[in-house]
Amino acid sequence: MNLTRPTARACAATLLLLAAADCTDLTVEPKSTVTESNIFNDPNSYQAFLARLYAGLAVSGQQGPAGLPDISGIDEGFSQYLRLYWETEELPTDEAVIAWNDIGLPEMNTQTWTSQSRMVVAMYYRVYFQVVLANEFLRQSTAAKLAERNQNDPTLRTNIRFYRAEARFLRALSYWHGIDLFGDIPLVTESNLIGGPPPAQSTRTDVFNFIVSELNAIIDSLPPPGASTYGRATGPAASMLLAEVYLNAGVYTGTPHWTEALTAAQAVIGSGAYSLDTSYRHLFLADNNTSREIIFAITQDGKRTQTYGGVTFLAHASCGGSMSNGTYGINGCWWGLRLKPQADSFYAAGDNRAGYFYTSGQTLAVTSIGDFTKGIAAPKYQNVTSTGVPPSDSAFVDTDFPMFRLGEAYLIYAEAVLRGGTGGNVAQALTYVNLLRERAYGGTSGDITAGQLTLDFILAERGRELLWEAHRRTDLIRYGLFTGGAYLWAWKGQDPNGTNSAGIATDSHLDLYPLPYSEVVANPNLKQNPGY
Amino acid sequence: MKRAECVIGALLAVLCVAPLGAQQPSGTVRGHVTDDATHQPLSGISVAIGSRAALTQADGRYVVTGVPAGSDTLRTRMIGYAPAKRAVTVAAGDTVVVDVALSPQAVGLSEIVVTGYGEQRAGNITGSVTQVTAEQFNTGRVVSPQQLIENKVAGVQLVDNNEPGGNLTIRIRGATSVNASSEPLYVVDGMPVGTGAGGGIFVGRDTLNPSAGRDALNFLNPRDIASVTVLKDASAAAIYGANAANGVVLITTKSGRGGSQVEYSGSASSSSVTRLPSMLNAAQFRAAVLAHGDTSQINQLGNANTDWFGLVDRTAFGQDHNFAVSGTGGSNRYRLSLGYLNQDGIIQGTSTQRISLGFNYDQRVLNDRLSVRTNLKGSRSFDQFPPGGVLSNAAQMGPTQPVYDPNTVTGYYNWPKNQLQSADNPLQLLNLAKFQGTTYRSVGNVQADYSLPFVEGLKANVNLGYDVTQFTQATFNPSVLHSEIKSGNFGSEYRTDPNMVNTVLETYLNYARTLSFVPGTIDATAGYSYVQSHAEFPSLTLTGLSTDIFDINGFPTAAHVSPGSPNVQESRLISFFGRLTYNHSDRYLAAVSLRRDGSSRFGASNAWGTFPSVALAWRISQEPFLSRVRELSDLKLRVSWAKTGNQAFANYQQYTAYLAGNSLAQVQFGNVFVPTIRPSAVDKNIKWEETAATNVGLDFGFLEQRFSGAIDWYVKKTSDLIFTVPQPAGTNFSNFVTSNIGTMKNQGIEASLSARVLRGGGSRLTWTADFTAAHNTNRLTSISANGAQQIPVNGVSGGVGTTIGILEPGQPINSFFVCQQQYRNGKPVEGKYVSLADTIASTCDAASLRAYHDPAPKWILGHSSYLTYGNFDFSFTLRAWLGNWVYNNVASNLGTYQEVRRFSPYNLHTSVLTTGFLTPQYLSDYYVEDGSFLRMDNITLGYSFTYRGQQVRLFSTVQNVFTITGYGGVDPTAGLNGVDNNIYPRSRTVTGGLSVRF
Repeated sequence: MNLTRPTARACAATLLLLAAADCTDLTVEPKSTVTESNIFNDPNSYQAFLARLYAGLAVSGQQGPAGLPDISGIDEGFSQYLRLYWETEELPTDEAVIAWNDIGLPEMNTQTWTSQSRMVVAMYYRVYFQVVLANEFLRQSTAAKLAERNQNDPTLRTNIRFYRAEARFLRALSYWHGIDLFGDIPLVTESNLIGGPPPAQSTRTDVFNFIVSELNAIIDSLPPPGASTYGRATGPAASMLLAEVYLNAGVYTGTPHWTEALTAAQAVIGSGAYSLDTSYRHLFLADNNTSREIIFAITQDGKRTQTYGGVTFLAHASCGGSMSNGTYGINGCWWGLRLKPQADSFYAAGDNRAGYFYTSGQTLAVTSIGDFTKGIAAPKYQNVTSTGVPPSDSAFVDTDFPMFRLGEAYLIYAEAVLRGGTGGNVAQALTYVNLLRERAYGGTSGDITAGQLTLDFILAERGRELLWEAHRRTDLIRYGLFTGGAYLWAWKGQDPNGTNSAGIATDSHLDLYPLPYSEVVANPNLKQNPGY
Repeated sequence: MKRAECVIGALLAVLCVAPLGAQQPSGTVRGHVTDDATHQPLSGISVAIGSRAALTQADGRYVVTGVPAGSDTLRTRMIGYAPAKRAVTVAAGDTVVVDVALSPQAVGLSEIVVTGYGEQRAGNITGSVTQVTAEQFNTGRVVSPQQLIENKVAGVQLVDNNEPGGNLTIRIRGATSVNASSEPLYVVDGMPVGTGAGGGIFVGRDTLNPSAGRDALNFLNPRDIASVTVLKDASAAAIYGANAANGVVLITTKSGRGGSQVEYSGSASSSSVTRLPSMLNAAQFRAAVLAHGDTSQINQLGNANTDWFGLVDRTAFGQDHNFAVSGTGGSNRYRLSLGYLNQDGIIQGTSTQRISLGFNYDQRVLNDRLSVRTNLKGSRSFDQFPPGGVLSNAAQMGPTQPVYDPNTVTGYYNWPKNQLQSADNPLQLLNLAKFQGTTYRSVGNVQADYSLPFVEGLKANVNLGYDVTQFTQATFNPSVLHSEIKSGNFGSEYRTDPNMVNTVLETYLNYARTLSFVPGTIDATAGYSYVQSHAEFPSLTLTGLSTDIFDINGFPTAAHVSPGSPNVQESRLISFFGRLTYNHSDRYLAAVSLRRDGSSRFGASNAWGTFPSVALAWRISQEPFLSRVRELSDLKLRVSWAKTGNQAFANYQQYTAYLAGNSLAQVQFGNVFVPTIRPSAVDKNIKWEETAATNVGLDFGFLEQRFSGAIDWYVKKTSDLIFTVPQPAGTNFSNFVTSNIGTMKNQGIEASLSARVLRGGGSRLTWTADFTAAHNTNRLTSISANGAQQIPVNGVSGGVGTTIGILEPGQPINSFFVCQQQYRNGKPVEGKYVSLADTIASTCDAASLRAYHDPAPKWILGHSSYLTYGNFDFSFTLRAWLGNWVYNNVASNLGTYQEVRRFSPYNLHTSVLTTGFLTPQYLSDYYVEDGSFLRMDNITLGYSFTYRGQQVRLFSTVQNVFTITGYGGVDPTAGLNGVDNNIYPRSRTVTGGLSVRF
């Protein structure tokens, strides 16, 4: 090549010009979405982010009723937190059966799941969706970060103190679900950054201790109970969560904490913020947000909080056969959920808690899982109000899910007393239980005596009072009846497509769900639960 | 303007790199080289006198300087032509003119083939490239340009969604991607299109709205296309870098030729349906309900005998008219064309209409040193789509029920009580619901090609182009529709008005000369490209319409109004590229290229990718030891290797975006509802997918190319495949993140043979027969960093979240994932499967599920014959696919008696009469069928004559004449995922037409 010096200089200048003229600038930032670099300059972003944590329990993605799902690998409607939690807590027990043949669902009825069963897998990821979001919220809302962004408005600062406590409550709630369902799981906190290495597996005890310490740390920083904080976590909600965790501490850690469970239940009852609803049915109707019994609810709204999971699922799926959807305020029946026969037999005559059961055209025995008419229908969650006012929508319900309510606090009190917790007494326990029974029987005809108040009675009463409220699996495990052969119910341990429905003994490893197969592959630190 | 500076700067920069020539004294020889037969000038001819040599320019002109005084021999050499010799005598300081006419030998080898950023003689191509010209194009009802080359190129698979103008997907040598696009890059007259300017709109290279199912190239009138070149192997495509991994299709439109002329061509067609899903008739349906329903279903049965599919489809008519005015002047060429197409679909109410305009103008100025070519194309398409659910409801609706019911608001019958579990009257849907779209698109560019005066053989090329689309799509479902009442929507309307603007600036220098220090010629190209895309997607959804009176044309008051975010999507692709080819006596050929691409889609740490290629070819037939085999006109061995990229995935994947929730996903804080925000889970280091490909090919020709063909073997290894893979819980915002994980391999062979069997001439019979065969195997080799994994894909109807496909290492992508059905006496046993452990299982679960066949054909065979006899021409095209499997989803979803136990019974697929299945067995391999077929795609008969001095041709074409297949569903080419689920039926089309040239 034969370049003269001036040519060389001109060329060098040209190349420099090319570089300087941004001819190689590739940065094209998104315009229609906000990124982490600037979202938190908006003071409203903190409330919106916290709302997303609550929404994590209530909806399935960023678009109601479906769209932009939070987790993938499963149909979005199926992936909704409450729907999954309800299915993992109810379907394998003596309380419920679901007709559908969708992948991952039949085995839930019969304790025959695997580490790839979609409902089990999705539930695990739902827990961590909540945990990671809460962690990010806690990282983004520290005093230092707020100061850095000049977020100095005193009201905002006060609110953010509440929000941080609520985020920690919600994280603790999901961790409780996590250890209850899956056992030893990784403990991931705000110190584990996004994109970091796969977390180590913690023991159930470690996570239990974390939940307890977190709840104790925030219990006084949560917003106060009342209509203006309905739907949010309050101090009594944290006490209730503590009571639940302590009640099952023996299962989680090997060491029972009956006294602590009793104390926590007393804190709820003693807060005075709640009272037993005079109507049991009101707790499960479209206007249950007005009930003074509900301590913590997953809120639903036909117009503003839409999902194919949640109570919309519960209300639609428990309708079918000759039931008329209009009666329940819904636009159609999904022909799914019925009672296993054992649940129907929980109730004695006169117990009005079974008053809504639908028997016409339904058989007691569930001779076929896929046939809706086999098994008594139990439309517990209905999209009609207690006063007959039409709901806001019939495709999506207004009915909230009462995750914690005072009635259960009474039952925890009673069980903790009977199991030897100190600080309470049997007489008070009997009073509480009879309050529930008087509501159920519409008078004292169903009252029991101190002699009848046994642990077995408590389990049966929990079945009656809290039917289909997502407690049953945990209760049966605490009583040692979920697996094994001591208590058999329809379809337990059997082939969901088979014909034999008497139930057989199951192996105790089923007391824990398996860690998802995909998770064990993705995170080499994890050891699968025994038996899977 | 910044981008203009970029172009000028880049042009200057590449100039710096270009070698500069040196002068020497002595005599000069110049002249023209032409084709002896056509008298057309020939370019790129090597003219040598002793050690001095030059190449002819586009107009055939050559100048050899520095020829030593005295007598010598001038030799010319051009592939496909006989070498020529002329004695020359030059005196010092003189200029001698020597014009040479070359006699053609094997013309096929000298044809000019359009390649990336240039063109080449067919015989000297080192990669695997196939050009299809207008004479070979398919005729008949051709709505989309890709249909022109269907079945004409070995290794190119075309999948049609059967709607006229519907989306066509092309796979060149198999799919190279799972989650990015596997569609090739289309370059029309030098303009990259359909790529969202190297930037897809949704994901990859799709149409503006893939859901609308219309093809990305529909703006282009197929009658305006002169040639289509497919760059199949990576070395040929590599000059397109990060857009090249799926191959490149170069489309050149017609320009003016010969004297001024006016052309008209037109055709009219009639299409009818071939196959429909096989559903129970009224009597069979009644029997099924009586046997398996209960009183509530039985009581709903009517007494009609309705063939719902028969009412939904129709004989569809179409017409197509094209005018073109073209001509050439002393220094210019032009062609102006106008097209009108109106094609109805075989489903009632569906149609596509297109008005298109094309204008090409070439002007040569400055003593022909500067050539400016302008290409402008514009079109308006109006499409009527089948309203959602027409086909699925035609399958589900009970044949015992009547069409009309005078006692209803709409006059149409529907099942009582408006239950979710009842089918909709498909006729009501067809006639009351609307789904339509209008697309305006214009693509244009100006290409200036300048032969620099100071260095012979040095050219600069600048290409400025745009691609603008404005699209409106609307659906309207009136509140009185059964489907709207039962869903609780009570009327819905959706409208979207996306628009897209892409701009392209490209420039390159080309330098071609003979070398003095070693034998041979070189051709060097170096360039810069800047491509930018901007698109917006506003939308509006209304539900709960207060009135239906405005139909699709207005927005009434509605219970829910959800505006979609404008969703601005922008992307940029900046590239530097270079290529050097070397040709020694047409015997030793080499090409190397390098492209460096930077994309706005790549994470900061991976912003730039480098894509090299090397290709070598050896024309063995040119060697002395074969020169005695006179029958052998060409034998060329080609070997190439290249790395290409794929960046056809969504924008902004590297940014953690906080997405706002909509008004239907709020939560309650006390008495107020709070909208939410959610961070997205991303991999900040996302980058292109990379395919490294090796190709070995052999081109051969006998008897002056009377028989010619090629055999190619290739292997393509794709790495950094983009997958949405599970993340360890606790490490990201969701359980799946899109990341570059995974590898895949495609391997195959291709063969093509073209035989001019009869060369009759005059009034005697001529027959040219082309054969193609291609075999491809696809294997996913890994999909995660941590070992084996399975990702379920391809959702199907039946249940919720049911998927039929699997992505699993060791298997082809989209393999079916099913359980092996147990049979007794040739009949499937309900609910019984052969497990992986070879036991009989009564559930289809992980213990029995296995990968089983896949939808991609293993062999694609094609044959085209072209015959002429006197004034008659006759051609036909046959195609066969072997080893493509299809899941018959209509059968699996509706082939079970349980479906009559819906609130209102669904009609059943006739497979239930064989299987007797009471409950659905969606994942039984019973429903996965071999889709191998032989199809006569096209028969055309034409007659040409001269009427009062005008050339006239009359023709008639039958398309999809017959299909021989063992497949029982609607169409064995049912989409890339192989799921036959109420797909638009394929039609048989008879076309008659005429073309006249004045």
